[in-house]
Amino acid sequence: MTKPISEPRAGKPSRKSGPTTDVFGSNSEIARKLKQYHDELLSLEVPERFAELLGKLEQAEHAGKTSSEGKAEG
Amino acid sequence: MAESSNLKEAGSFKSDLLGAIPGLRAFAVSLTQNSDRADDLVQETLVKAWDKQDSFQPGTNLKAWLFTILRNEFYSQMRKRGREVQDSDGAFTARLAIHPSQHGQLDLQDFRAALQLLPEDQREAIVLIGAAGFSYEEAAEICNCAVGTIKSRVSRARTRLQETLKISGEADFGPDAIATQVMGSSVT
Repeated sequence: MTKPISEPRAGKPSRKSGPTTDVFGSNSEIARKLKQYHDELLSLEVPERFAELLGKLEQAEHAGKTSSEGKAEG
Repeated sequence: MAESSNLKEAGSFKSDLLGAIPGLRAFAVSLTQNSDRADDLVQETLVKAWDKQDSFQPGTNLKAWLFTILRNEFYSQMRKRGREVQDSDGAFTARLAIHPSQHGQLDLQDFRAALQLLPEDQREAIVLIGAAGFSYEEAAEICNCAVGTIKSRVSRARTRLQETLKISGEADFGPDAIATQVMGSSVT
């Protein structure tokens, strides 16, 4: 059973949201772990397939352009 | 002439996309909780972004634009799979507490597990704000909701993580402490 939680109102204009460390305030352990969790993901090696994919997309686009040019000329 | 400048832009667009991949993958893993699905999602995102590159306004935030595409793709895949998107009060979020492994020291493994227990909307909000470095305004745009909504999701996510991880003074009173009491003086 879940009790409906109404979406809190946006509330009074709070301070400008800039860098967000203050959100976590006293819970710096959560902030730290979140960063650590994210850094770990960022540091994963990027598989070749993505660079290959972009290479293919670029080639396809280039080929498309040249061939349509060719047609226009011919 | 217009052509050659297009090609030049395309070259830098491609390298910008390449540079964005680690961040996209991290976000995709946070959303899907599964590295294979995450990579498929990133691949879809790159293809979509490439097709739509004309609609990207140079000089605006490419990362936010890409995150928006990825997120939309994620939710449309979820809908196709017929899986209901959990809302904040989803039953999935069991009141499962994870106790810090060692003397209140919060292990990354524990944190990951706790993050997984968050409803998707809260998880993405806290990841966008607390990890990926977006402002509330950017996160609101990515998630297509109000800034206040993002703020409340982040705040609820934080509270829930705290509860799950028993942070904030309670850390030393996990089951181990109780077990130790129950087992009595045999542990010295």
